Amino acid sequence: MSFWSFACREPDHLPQASLSVAGALRGESSAGYARAIEPREFRFPEDHGPHPEFRTEWWYYTGNLSTREGRRFGFQLTFFRSAVAPSMPERSSNWATRQAYLAHFTVSDIDGGRFRSFERWSRGALGLAGSQGEPFRVWLEDWSAEGDRLHAAEDGVALDLTLQPGKLPVLQGERGLSQKSEEPGNASYYYSLTRMPASGTIRLGDERFEVSGLAWMDREWSTSSLGKDQVGWDWFALQLEDGRDLMLYQLRRSDGTADATSNGTLVGPNGESRHLGLSDFELEVVNRWESPRSGAVYPAGWRLRIPSADLDLRIEPLLPDQELDVSFRYWEGAVRVEGTSRGRGYVEMTGYSK
Amino acid sequence: MIGPLLRSSIRHLLRHPWQFGLAVLGVALGVAVIVSIDLANASATRAFSLSSEAVTGRATHQVIGGPEGLPDEAFRRLVLETDLPAAPAVEGYVRVPSGKSGKPGRMLHLLGIDPFSERPFRPYLSGGTEASREGSSIDLAPLLTRPGAGVLSATTAGEIGLKTGGSFSVRVGGGVRTIELVGVLEPADESTRSALSDLLVMDIAAAQEILGRVGRIDHIDLIAESDAQLSQAQAVLPAGAQILRSSARTETSEEMTKAFRLNLTALSLLALVCGVFLIYNTMVFSVVQRRTLIGTLRALGVTRGQVFALVLGEAAVVALLGTAAGLGAGVLLARELVRLVTQTINDLYFVLSVRELAVPAGVLIKGGAIGIGATLAAALAPAIEATRAAPRAAQIRSALEARLRRVLPRVTLAGAVLLAAGAGLLAFPGLVVSFAGLFSVILGSALLAPGATVLFMNLLRPVMGAMFGILGRMAAGGVVASLSRTAVAIAALVIAVSATIGIGVMIDSFRGTVVRWMESTLRSDVYLARPGRAGGFSGGDLDPEVALRSGRLPGVERVNLLRRAEVPSPDGPVRMVVLGTDLAGLSGYELKEGRPGEAWPAFQERDAVVVSEPFAHRHGIGAGDVFRLRTAKGERDFSVAGVYYDYASDLGLVLMSRKTYLRHWRDRPLTGFSVDLEPGADLEGTIRRLRSAVGGEGLSIQSNQALKKISMEIFDRTFQITSVLRLLSGLVAFIGVLSALMALQLERARELGVLRANGLTPGQVWHLVTSQTGLMGLAAGLLSIPVGLALAAIMIFVINRRSFGWTIRMEVDPMILLGAMTLAWGAALLAGIYPAWKMARTSPALALREE
Repeated sequence: MSFWSFACREPDHLPQASLSVAGALRGESSAGYARAIEPREFRFPEDHGPHPEFRTEWWYYTGNLSTREGRRFGFQLTFFRSAVAPSMPERSSNWATRQAYLAHFTVSDIDGGRFRSFERWSRGALGLAGSQGEPFRVWLEDWSAEGDRLHAAEDGVALDLTLQPGKLPVLQGERGLSQKSEEPGNASYYYSLTRMPASGTIRLGDERFEVSGLAWMDREWSTSSLGKDQVGWDWFALQLEDGRDLMLYQLRRSDGTADATSNGTLVGPNGESRHLGLSDFELEVVNRWESPRSGAVYPAGWRLRIPSADLDLRIEPLLPDQELDVSFRYWEGAVRVEGTSRGRGYVEMTGYSK
Repeated sequence: MIGPLLRSSIRHLLRHPWQFGLAVLGVALGVAVIVSIDLANASATRAFSLSSEAVTGRATHQVIGGPEGLPDEAFRRLVLETDLPAAPAVEGYVRVPSGKSGKPGRMLHLLGIDPFSERPFRPYLSGGTEASREGSSIDLAPLLTRPGAGVLSATTAGEIGLKTGGSFSVRVGGGVRTIELVGVLEPADESTRSALSDLLVMDIAAAQEILGRVGRIDHIDLIAESDAQLSQAQAVLPAGAQILRSSARTETSEEMTKAFRLNLTALSLLALVCGVFLIYNTMVFSVVQRRTLIGTLRALGVTRGQVFALVLGEAAVVALLGTAAGLGAGVLLARELVRLVTQTINDLYFVLSVRELAVPAGVLIKGGAIGIGATLAAALAPAIEATRAAPRAAQIRSALEARLRRVLPRVTLAGAVLLAAGAGLLAFPGLVVSFAGLFSVILGSALLAPGATVLFMNLLRPVMGAMFGILGRMAAGGVVASLSRTAVAIAALVIAVSATIGIGVMIDSFRGTVVRWMESTLRSDVYLARPGRAGGFSGGDLDPEVALRSGRLPGVERVNLLRRAEVPSPDGPVRMVVLGTDLAGLSGYELKEGRPGEAWPAFQERDAVVVSEPFAHRHGIGAGDVFRLRTAKGERDFSVAGVYYDYASDLGLVLMSRKTYLRHWRDRPLTGFSVDLEPGADLEGTIRRLRSAVGGEGLSIQSNQALKKISMEIFDRTFQITSVLRLLSGLVAFIGVLSALMALQLERARELGVLRANGLTPGQVWHLVTSQTGLMGLAAGLLSIPVGLALAAIMIFVINRRSFGWTIRMEVDPMILLGAMTLAWGAALLAGIYPAWKMARTSPALALREE
């Protein structure tokens, strides 16, 4: 008998490990919430803060780090805000809220061959969790992204990083409006900071590692997005050694084909960006991995070709098992890029776990 | 020889169906009473532990605050500054009105939780298993965002007649609130279903709002693996907070009701003792009746072992039938008793709802073993008796009677020794030892009964002769002449009747004491209170300004402020009554220890408390000692200035002055207040003025008289179960007398035949039989009075004192004694009717031919 299963109403980016949940979500009425219908003017730093009139929102940090000696790590720290109702009557209790928060924290110890993932839930009340634009802060209990610092710790695993902005924010999709299916409004506002120099420490049990590397932040808010036939997605965030960054996602339909709204953005070394449509790239799965936990079979190696950018890349997970063992299972992990350009990155895959 | 033996046995049983049937009934009643009390206790305990499991979940520890609860902030700090899983809860009780006037309606246990913190704690609420992800889910959105949104188990919702989306009214505190059912819980298994019964789950925000506890948490559950984690938690908690083991909750409740349950068990044993005597009586009788037959059988070569087996075999049949019937009846009876037990627990200890009777096999096995074991044990002596006589001697009844008279002094001596041993046991502390002493006194009295009967009849014979002539003397003489049969019957009767006297006098004395105590303590003219989170000790919160406003009304001389609070202490929560009044307002409290002239000024001005008698008993403290409480600023010692008489709660109460209380706790609200009128002021008018002045506050306003009346109703309700047990003992007694005396008279058919042949008219036979049974009833009744009073005294001065710690003044209502006499005598007379009628109708020739 389950309930409180916080039926993730997150339209697309929020991990959904099971079809049934994705199905249940689509029935939800989005009445009363703001919708992402047309491009908007982004303002910084205000837009780093929350947009509570939309149903869902997230702050998504991933990155590849290494020590001076070359020991490699990947990390993910994500905060999700999800409104459970578009409005709420006046309440006297300080616990009352319509905002729920969820956060995921992972560390991939590439050379140690170990992946750790953690999940937290809380309500956006009483200071337990929340978000604000100025000064920027999003937190869930003592996990936080505050100013230029990230902090998370649980069960002997800790992450403390300082980030620099790197390139300017990149507006994804059409000037920041990222269409997720044909229906108007099934879209999000989406921007990224694709190359953020990061340094700090990672703690694993009694060991402390001074690390540095590149982080990537995605910011997205929306009310609804997934179309009827969409079952999941594969999302790539790649940082190439030639200074280019590539964001690309493919929405998968239930018949196995890629949805027409699948798209990407190629960011040049100086921050200039170029939109990529479905016809601009070819993605081929060359390897698969079966999760011993969920039995789900995930892609575990790709060939990505973008002829117009002279890119022919092989993408491989740095660890096969980077499946998050959380309420809704999905795979999100550090990858290595080789081919016409070398690099590192993060890949997220949802909709594989039954 | 077994064949004919068995046949003789069966024929005997068939020829005496009354005797046999009543013996079975006696066993059945005894077993039924024991089993039903056991089941009622077991069901109450199980219901409590299930409901506390439902609330506690997997928590290892629980943080509780002082009377003011814990601030919201305490949870935030725990979560942000420690790494312990923590889940907050707000608890209370709400009542669903029944719709029918006069019925109290259904009590729901409101549990306000934070769904986001639940997962590690209450599996039935949070799902969290692989399978449950696919299962039915409750929409969190309305639960979080709609005020008054709640969920119930599907069963409870069905019983109230609600569907998801429906709403219902509940009474909480002084007002009525609407709850919207936004989902139902489908329990996965039977124990979850029981645990969820009557549980109304809400989001903590809505629960705070409904219960009027905004900003306050009742407890925070923790899962701690080490002491280090606990001290980490303690460090961030406010000083008034206390961390308890989760099991402490159940342990405390068991401790609270332990004495109550033990007393019930002991009373049920009393009913069984009556039943056992009845069996003993029946078996002795059946042996005596057949002494000729047994003698003949022995003469024919039947061995002692076979005779022994014959008698025990018959007892086994009685035991099996009676026990089986008793187990069945016990389960049925338990359905009624569990209601009474629950009612008493609700009135005296804590809110508990028992929706179903638990029937653990253990209870039935225990009841069955006691029933069969006691019956066989009771038959042992008669069986040995049957084997002992030499073949020919067994045929001579006079030999038996003669021997009984010879052993009579020894029996009497044994009785005296048992009595003395009982008295000795009573001198030792300990409740179980006390009960052993009580039963020893009962058995001793039973053994004294035959001797006392002989004495009584010898004294009475001349009187009876003077009044009724030869027949009167014969009636009295007959009782002594057939002592082998009458003695046991009278002893059984004495036990049963004295039990009803003892329990009756005990309840009566208690009641009288409580009435006097209320007269002295409840001195104010009007009592006002905010009905609280129903069932909780603390009650609702009331702004002190309301009381002060009432104090300014014309005709009001003084208001006394009252706060009830449950305060943590190193020994667990302590119930405290905080009084804001002057020395005159305290004069109603009668001190058992401590001098009023010193105790009350200390109470008013210094950190001194006055504790109730049961409290002093439970905690083993007295005037001059110190007692430690956990205040909002940490643990503090309070000196005990005195011990006062109190009968409100056997858990014990601590009295503290409001001045002292506010020095140590930040808890300003009141639970209620009382109003003293100026001399000559008009009561009705003042109540009207009070009503209009503070009517909007949701207060209950009661006059002194009304409050006393309600208190006595509760008192009577809590003793209902005791009265029922008394009634059952009386019933066993009645059946015992009926069966013993009826058998006795039926057995005299031949003797009466001889008398008839010698010219006794049917009317004279009637007279002889009824006056003989009447005499026995009278003897038993008279003997029961001293024994009953002794039992009452033991229950009042030893058992109650050691169980609950209170001083009760024993008082004897002659009506109780008269009632007991009537019971004994009435049963005896009734027992004579059928044999007398039968004898009077039978022709002498037939009666003589019978053997």
